[in-house]
Amino acid sequence: MLEIVAQAVINGLLIGGIYALVSIGVTLIFGVVKIVNFAQGEFVMIGMYITFFLATQFGMDPLLSLLVSMPVLFVIGVLVQHFLIRRVLGLNDLPQIFLTFALSLLILNIALMLFSANYRTVHTAYSDEAFHFGGLYVPVAKLIAFGVAMLLSALLWAFLRATDLGKAMRAASQNRDVAQLMGINPNRVFAVALGIALALAGAAGSLLMPFYPAYPMVGQVFVLMAFVAVVLGTLGNVVGALVASLLMGIAESLGIQFIGADSGLIVVFLLLLATLALRPSGLAGGHTR
Amino acid sequence: MRIGRRRVVVGALIALMLVLPLAVKSAFALDILIRILLFAFIGTAWNLLGGYAKQFSLGHSAFFGLGAYTSTLMQIDLGISPWIGMLAGGVAAMLASLPIGWLCFRLRGPYFTIATIAAAQVLMLIFLKLRDFAWGAEGTTIPNLGDAPLMMQFDGKLPYYYVVLLLLLVALAITAWIARSRLGFYLVALGEDQDAAEAVGIDVPRVKRDIYMLSAFLTAMAGTFYVQYIYFIDPQTAFNFSISIEAALVSIVGGVGTLLGPLIGTLLLETTSALLQSWLGNQAGVQVTVYSVILMAVILWRPTGIMGYLAEVRERRRLRQGIA
Repeated sequence: MLEIVAQAVINGLLIGGIYALVSIGVTLIFGVVKIVNFAQGEFVMIGMYITFFLATQFGMDPLLSLLVSMPVLFVIGVLVQHFLIRRVLGLNDLPQIFLTFALSLLILNIALMLFSANYRTVHTAYSDEAFHFGGLYVPVAKLIAFGVAMLLSALLWAFLRATDLGKAMRAASQNRDVAQLMGINPNRVFAVALGIALALAGAAGSLLMPFYPAYPMVGQVFVLMAFVAVVLGTLGNVVGALVASLLMGIAESLGIQFIGADSGLIVVFLLLLATLALRPSGLAGGHTR
Repeated sequence: MRIGRRRVVVGALIALMLVLPLAVKSAFALDILIRILLFAFIGTAWNLLGGYAKQFSLGHSAFFGLGAYTSTLMQIDLGISPWIGMLAGGVAAMLASLPIGWLCFRLRGPYFTIATIAAAQVLMLIFLKLRDFAWGAEGTTIPNLGDAPLMMQFDGKLPYYYVVLLLLLVALAITAWIARSRLGFYLVALGEDQDAAEAVGIDVPRVKRDIYMLSAFLTAMAGTFYVQYIYFIDPQTAFNFSISIEAALVSIVGGVGTLLGPLIGTLLLETTSALLQSWLGNQAGVQVTVYSVILMAVILWRPTGIMGYLAEVRERRRLRQGIA
């Protein structure tokens, strides 16, 4: 029994690392630009297809394709900020919510037209490998994904703490007007925030590919997880999103283990709704009614 | 005199909608008309909450599904007519909107939207699990009784058209009445600025709760109608996310917070969709791709939708006449 729980916790923690990459992106955009990016999951999907095509066309290892997917998604992020999001900043809720929502629908359905709904998988040498500790096993591909995800999160944290641009970003997220008065160029900061957030989504895509199938709707699972994690971890808080993602990975995995294979999402959503019921003000910092 | 002219226009439009299907011979075209009225009805229900109060729900499939399941369960298990089931479904959705709203209204703006998505997903996942009570993931066909108007089943599509037309007219009448009532002004006020509305003494939580209940009730009626029309129900059909999306989409494209916005938006989107389908067949993804491009264009260039654009044009013409 204890072993089953421990195994479920390990599985959940490992996938939670991927959720963390996605939710950190969502929370970074929300913190800095004050926009909820409904399309974040679709950028994970783009990262997965980039990795898939590099692997099948050029035999590139998914880990190596991080060096492609992250820069490509960074550029897409800057473009999305410049041509779309910039135009709805300062407007009311409707355009801010439905612009990225429309973008999400658009990318998803273009992918559906181009690639069909079929599952695409990449098989690597380490896809089926696992470390064994007593009765427990740790799949190598998931362990690598988790490790890289934590490394990228740490790098982002250091970037936000130690560099001028990172500090500018934190300043903009705390108080946009004052930051602007201090000479911070918000457009540049916003573009970099979008770029970094999407690069993280792209990284999540590449890291998933050795053990997770790519299909056009794949992003929806991750974006819903990310939204919940971002609410649980206090909106705009990077470390909060990271911790919440890991916890949610574990909660989902326990749900799958003890309630049923398709019950992971129920557990996570109920977690969200229960949190909203029990301590809404502490979690949503300033955004509750 | 102005009111007189307005009455004539409304009367003529209703008369047109009454005779229109008589001129339509093909079942395919009639099916499109029924879809247009159905989504205009759902959009009108959504618009009460999303358009007037600016609470952007993407979880209205929860109420659509509850309405569909309530009437179907009552019909199959108890032999109760879907006409009664439709009202019972509305009540069920209204009751469900209380806890859902209690939770989701704790969040504002985009996070309200996300919470409504989560709530609707939870309901769908629950119905997928309910194998003994509600057929689980397989769903069930609704027994075809032939021509049985008392059980909301008809020969041919024409009667369905009139049923959904009646639903739409009722929803429009309710909207028109609310827009001019005290509640309507409260809704607009809280949609503009929630804190200011509260400051002038509007009981914001109560207003939100009331309009959410009404919006849920109407959406549930659409659910009953839809499953009676297609004779089939399963969680993927009844709680489909695309219902939530289309409810918001038609209202935004047509113009949120306007009486006829959802109807106009549905006319545009469903006609586009039907044309695309006849040109390209059922190619996956095409329809929603076009929808999302239209939505994006509206948001970037005409955030007040078609109705807002028309109002602008009229205003400009009036000003020009005033100068001349």
